[in-house]
Amino acid sequence: MTAPVTEPVLSGRKFFMNHEVTPTSHTLADYQARGGYQALAKVLKGGVAPADVIKEVSTAGLLGHGGAAFPAGRKWGVIRPDDGEPHYVCMNADEGEPGTFKDRWLLEQVPHMAVEGLILASYAIGGRHAFIYIRGEFDLPFHRIQGAVDEAYAAGLLGKNILGSDYSLDVVVYRGAGSYVCGEASAMLASLEGKKGWPRNRPPRLTVKGLYQKPTVVNNVETLANVPVILSLGAEEFRKTGTPKSPGTQMISISGHVNRPGVYEVEYGYSWEKFIYEDCGGIQGGRGLKCIIPGGVSTKILDADQIKGVTLDHNAAVAAGSQLGSGGMIAIAEGTCMVRLARVIQRFYHHESCGQCTPCREGMGWMERVLDRIVRGEGRPDDIDRLYHISNANDGTTICSLGDSAGYACTAILDHYREEFEYFIKNGRSMMDGQLAVEDPFAGAVPTPLRGMAGAAV
Amino acid sequence: MSQADRKRGNNEPVDTSKTIAFSINGVPCTAYKGESVIQAAQRAGMDIPHFCWHHDLSVPGNCRICMVEVEQDKGDPWFDIGCNMPVTEGMRVLTESDTVKKLRRETMQFITLNHPVDCGICNKAGECILQDYHYEHNGKASMSIDRKNHATKFFPLSDRIMLDNERCIMCTRCVRFTHEVSESHALAAVYRGDHSLIRPAEDANFNDDAYSDNVIDICPVGALLSRENLDHARVWYTKATPSVCPGCSRGCSIDIWHRKPEWALKALDPQLNSRIERVTPHENPAVNGPWICNKARDLATIFERPRATQAMVQGTPVELDEAIARAAGFVQNARRVVALVSSWGSNEELEAFAAAFAPRLGGAVTAYAKADHVPQSGEVVEDHLLIKADKNPNLTAATARFPLAPADLAAALAGADVVLVWGEGVAQASLPAGVTVIRLDGYAQEHNASAHVFIPLSIQTERSGHYTNFEGTVTPFEACFAPKAPVAHAAELFPRLAGTVQLAGAGA
Amino acid sequence: MNAPMQNIQHLIPEFERWKERYPAGFEGSLTIPCLRRIQEERGYIADSDIDELVAYLGVPRTQVDEVLGFYTMFTREPLGRYHLQVCHNVSCSLRGADGLIKYLCGRLGIQPGETTPDGQFTISTAECLASCGTAPMMIVNETYHEDLTPAKVDALLEELAK
Repeated sequence: MTAPVTEPVLSGRKFFMNHEVTPTSHTLADYQARGGYQALAKVLKGGVAPADVIKEVSTAGLLGHGGAAFPAGRKWGVIRPDDGEPHYVCMNADEGEPGTFKDRWLLEQVPHMAVEGLILASYAIGGRHAFIYIRGEFDLPFHRIQGAVDEAYAAGLLGKNILGSDYSLDVVVYRGAGSYVCGEASAMLASLEGKKGWPRNRPPRLTVKGLYQKPTVVNNVETLANVPVILSLGAEEFRKTGTPKSPGTQMISISGHVNRPGVYEVEYGYSWEKFIYEDCGGIQGGRGLKCIIPGGVSTKILDADQIKGVTLDHNAAVAAGSQLGSGGMIAIAEGTCMVRLARVIQRFYHHESCGQCTPCREGMGWMERVLDRIVRGEGRPDDIDRLYHISNANDGTTICSLGDSAGYACTAILDHYREEFEYFIKNGRSMMDGQLAVEDPFAGAVPTPLRGMAGAAV
Repeated sequence: MSQADRKRGNNEPVDTSKTIAFSINGVPCTAYKGESVIQAAQRAGMDIPHFCWHHDLSVPGNCRICMVEVEQDKGDPWFDIGCNMPVTEGMRVLTESDTVKKLRRETMQFITLNHPVDCGICNKAGECILQDYHYEHNGKASMSIDRKNHATKFFPLSDRIMLDNERCIMCTRCVRFTHEVSESHALAAVYRGDHSLIRPAEDANFNDDAYSDNVIDICPVGALLSRENLDHARVWYTKATPSVCPGCSRGCSIDIWHRKPEWALKALDPQLNSRIERVTPHENPAVNGPWICNKARDLATIFERPRATQAMVQGTPVELDEAIARAAGFVQNARRVVALVSSWGSNEELEAFAAAFAPRLGGAVTAYAKADHVPQSGEVVEDHLLIKADKNPNLTAATARFPLAPADLAAALAGADVVLVWGEGVAQASLPAGVTVIRLDGYAQEHNASAHVFIPLSIQTERSGHYTNFEGTVTPFEACFAPKAPVAHAAELFPRLAGTVQLAGAGA
Repeated sequence: MNAPMQNIQHLIPEFERWKERYPAGFEGSLTIPCLRRIQEERGYIADSDIDELVAYLGVPRTQVDEVLGFYTMFTREPLGRYHLQVCHNVSCSLRGADGLIKYLCGRLGIQPGETTPDGQFTISTAECLASCGTAPMMIVNETYHEDLTPAKVDALLEELAK
């Protein structure tokens, strides 16, 4: 375990994981007891204008938590208040980026923070209807967020004349039906329109023509959950957490070869190494860390050296050569076969490509086929160039960033671990032991046929 | 919905009253406000390669072959698709830079990745945009050594159209056509990723879409092909002659395809050398845009009906000149002639008729324009797009000169001793007994033998001329074939019938 | 078990109530929620369901055809009584998903994509289900089953097979 190089001075504040999780801590009553909906009351009853809400969020420097880290206030500010059009806010709860499960935690444990944030955001942009697009597979998170919406309606926090004010808002929780690409904002809106999730080209931007061709803001769950925090504390106080360029906290879901996977809340500026080696208990099996996927498979891999002395904030991650992305961190132990890992990743992208545009539709399948062939022991020396070619030809040429991401994921692994690919191609087998798991609960387990089932030759 | 309302190669409205100055490859160009780079380039005569873009459909931006480079004063140039790129003032677009060429090569690599490249057995060969772009923008072998995806090779999309899913590049032109133009909503893009397939809607019968065959034209590859014409002739053995569809008064501009004379078949049935191979739209913004209906596709069923090839006098075959002389005799000596004028006659033929009978029109000769064809059962009568209820190509011009024949023909024909029937649509039963009947027509009908004189005529494909459509637009058609038998051209016939030209042997 | 569902008429009042929360003109949006509800009742989407839904919503048939083909959660064929969807994406693979899949296939005698002959179990592989921290895992019908071990799988299968 490597000791962290520097210990940044941090406030130690948590905004989401700041209470004990109990069987009722997600309910309206418990949330209100913790001060919930006071921000909303302050805004609606205190005569705070929508433009002021936008200003506060902008001053606070809130960056999007869905992966792109776009300033939330700036996105809201594009909507013209007097254009006579309906405006919509859509909460992106389609969490599908592999490695990411922090929105799930927020939906299950603090759904009312997300709802309050959604109401405040809708108020800020003059919306009368808002949507929560939640991935179709989510079960408990759906019940929790739908329950929160129902509680809010019952308590006069949603519907007509919220808290006795002039502001009315209806919220629909819309369940998806199984598609990663529907996490992309324009595909999400197509899905919300009851259609297949094909992303759209820009222009026009969604803030100009979005849901049903009306101005629409799409924000991640965590981004919206930050809004009541900012309006309670005030922008200035909010900025006392995190770093000047990345204020606030980041929910990180970590998985892979760490001893204590799960959801954590870290203040921006926290030491990356401290997080991995102390908070998450270091790497399984006493192994060293080989590399990290920082924020979902769509971010570039960083090896153990590259995170030395790096803090968990957007600028530091970019300077290190990657991004914090969606907060879906995956730790990979020494000895893991990166060729097999790359194949799993490209199998995913191939499965999820919507099929609309040429480079991604054809390229994803091509990449999977090449990697399948290498893993089968039939790789050719020019396959590495082939993979680079496909990746680069998807960079900046596609309708949405699924193609780009697949390319970055692949080239980052190739850049770091080219020798593993060369070995596999030359020798027809992995340079490592070929296993992807370090601690495999099913290692050595012998399946006996369930009574009544014929035995299978596996 | 009017043609104007429909999206025209853009997802935004274009304002032709405002112009924007920009450049393409250093050449100054002007765009209308709202136009995309590809639209402005096309109007300037520069074609940026494209598969999915079509100037009469919405912009999907999925093929990515129209990527262009935009230079900036500060910073690196940026790249994006030209079909969805609004032109801005002073924009500097490059379409032939090294990077753009590389992007095109890469796109072509992807497009042909799973494409079967079975040009040897594909009907589209020779007029295939994929072929053309491969040679122009790539020209190299595939970089892949892995198996191609396989899909359905012959999917019957309808009775008329076959779909080869392996050749399909998912440009979605066909799908968009059925939603935006024909409005049959008959096609869909189902499944996901590289398993995506074009399929018909499971309730709609693509057979019911009167414009279905347009998807064959707009398909940039050989995925959508006419089942009727499958494997008939390589496109380079045929030529297109511009013509006008006579199926209704819209008068859509068409191309009639037939074998080039230098590629005449010697060993097979010579009839194949003067056959209509297919009919496609001839783009005409003033009349039909780039579309035609399926009736136009099936013009062979009209033009290749059994022809009248033999002049007759009361059913007895005679020489053509003799028939003309006998008919002229009847016409010139009649007390009263009623002529039923064909609405399939060209402007020139109608003019010749009017000129020939001018001295006697209104007096001894009465002429009525008639509708040779009426809507048949099962045929679309009129719709929102092209099809008009008047199923004749030139009734407009005919009724401009002559009154429309009344529904009760008997009243119109009363008192006539000679009835001159030019063209189709007059049943023998509607002609009064005891009257001398002269029929002039191109097609073999049973009643031809009952006429006192029957003169076979040439048909539209055997001569040139013009039609006037329902809006007054005049469009030309050209001859495709030479008549096979001795038939008369109506325009030359009328002066001889009327006596304004002396019969054979005498000076004019 | 209740009488098999003949048509969707009894669901219409529920659909009408949903419409009230949506803005006017958003009827097309109901396509996905209605299909989910139909599948929840019938277990799959029948051809007649599609005809009736298209008539009710007034959307083009192609929209429904495309939605059914695009999203992985819709099925037009009945599946096993228990649909086991096992994630095989990155984090689950790093914590034993391959072993879990092999174990399940061994216990049930089928491969991913297949249903047991008695119609009880279907196994599918799935992509990331946002349960990476509790891998390996699977969804059984709607429910997440996480931190799986052979013992847990055995207990679960015994329970389901009752």
